[in-house]
Amino acid sequence: MGDIPAIFPVAPAWEAEGTSRIPFWAYTDEALYKRELERFFYKGHWCYVGLEAEIPNHGDFKRTVVGERSVIMTRAEDGSIHVLENVCAHRGMQFCRERHGNKKDLVCAYHQWSYSLKGDLQGVPFRRGVKQDGKINGGMPKDFKPEDHSLNKLKVSTRGGVVFASFDHEVPSLEAYLGPTILQYFDRLFNGRKLTILGYNRQRIPGNWKLMQENIKDPYHPGLLHTWFITYGLWRADNKSELKMDEHFRHAAMISTRSNAQVKNEVTAGVSSFKESMEIQDKRLLDIVPEPWWGGPTAVMMTVFPSVIFQQQVNSVSTRHIQPDGHGSFDFVWTHFGFEDDTPEMTQRRLIQANLFGPAGFVSADDGEVIELSQNGFEQKPYHRALAEMGGREIENTDHMVTESLIRGMYDYWRKVMGV
Amino acid sequence: MTQNWIDALAADDVPQDDVIGVDVAGRDIALYGMDGEVFATDNICTHGHARLCDGFLEDGEIECPLHQGRFDVRSGKAMCAPLTEDIRSYPVKIENGRVFVDLG
Repeated sequence: MGDIPAIFPVAPAWEAEGTSRIPFWAYTDEALYKRELERFFYKGHWCYVGLEAEIPNHGDFKRTVVGERSVIMTRAEDGSIHVLENVCAHRGMQFCRERHGNKKDLVCAYHQWSYSLKGDLQGVPFRRGVKQDGKINGGMPKDFKPEDHSLNKLKVSTRGGVVFASFDHEVPSLEAYLGPTILQYFDRLFNGRKLTILGYNRQRIPGNWKLMQENIKDPYHPGLLHTWFITYGLWRADNKSELKMDEHFRHAAMISTRSNAQVKNEVTAGVSSFKESMEIQDKRLLDIVPEPWWGGPTAVMMTVFPSVIFQQQVNSVSTRHIQPDGHGSFDFVWTHFGFEDDTPEMTQRRLIQANLFGPAGFVSADDGEVIELSQNGFEQKPYHRALAEMGGREIENTDHMVTESLIRGMYDYWRKVMGV
Repeated sequence: MTQNWIDALAADDVPQDDVIGVDVAGRDIALYGMDGEVFATDNICTHGHARLCDGFLEDGEIECPLHQGRFDVRSGKAMCAPLTEDIRSYPVKIENGRVFVDLG
């Protein structure tokens, strides 16, 4: 009996050295998850909320979340962008239900308290009471000050058309938060051109939110899991590539360069799903039309902790927003975009390449499924642990893809902040 | 220019420094008594669907009871958020103790 560990650890402790062995309970413990929300999503971090191009005009708004908290991103009359918590200052109702829209002001349906697009309380019905037979009945107390009852206003930072927000007004600048290495790749993608919105994908993935970050920090899997890539010789382990992190190891960039020549060689020869004879009819799905802003790499996947992934896969560019919903579930929202100087042909190409991604994407459908099945594995034996020892046990930037270094890096940061 | 004066009510019935709602030829009109003068506007706020005669008259401005938007009662001008639209105001004259409004 002594040999069988407790299946559900009472006081889980991270026993192994370093971060190359990750306990399953890091994905299954509800109390730990609440602490993650507190420490990563609600304090000391910037979270992605959207793109400026989603709310181009005065009065435009978008409802989204920071962690699990519902927020509204608005554009005020003076063009400024605001992010407000979707909770009425009166009775706490989550009053905004539309996903997108345009409004003159924000009104809670319950008692019609109304707020400006900047979140200031404007009107309280019958604040001064109701006149009846020459007498005034009710009303708010004389010392009631509307300015004390704004919506909760988040700190906002925009860069290159991307909007971030934080409940923590003491958070360091967005630029300091991203750090110089990641900022360089951020600015490569969001280089000041106006963005255009091409469309959205939404999916709920029944797995822990960190698994999505790990998925994009894991260059070991694409050539193995995504047989679609291999079939057409798209992903090769010998593609020229680099992995880079910020100084805290929380963010990362996975940079790779694919040559247009799809040559059969010893790297693809052993991979059974590589089909030399198979071809795709619409070549726009796969071929590369280099864009001047790339400066070399054909794909850069940025994981910005904790809430977002910025994707450039050849001509498909998107943001992927991680919206946790309990320890074992998250919503994943993809915003496909383009640039205002795109030709109609390039817009078509971006849309066609977007078919690789999203809930039913030729490639990304696989990721949602393996995340669900990983979570299932964790839930059935939380005392166990996952291995992330490909490429060693160290945390380092590399010039190859055969490593789980970025996952180890993320858990190094996670352990520090979580005190685990 | 022809004027279309309509008898609204007795001048004495307009409260001083306050507002009253009256039906003038089927229209809902607010009349304001200020320093012996009378002003008239539409009674339904241009923002929410509330009656200005249930609001509060202060310093020549009527505050809507619902969302605290304020109009200048002399010009009908919208003075603050959440109002985005002025309210229509009407010429008024007092003759023989009666208030007449020109609804145009």
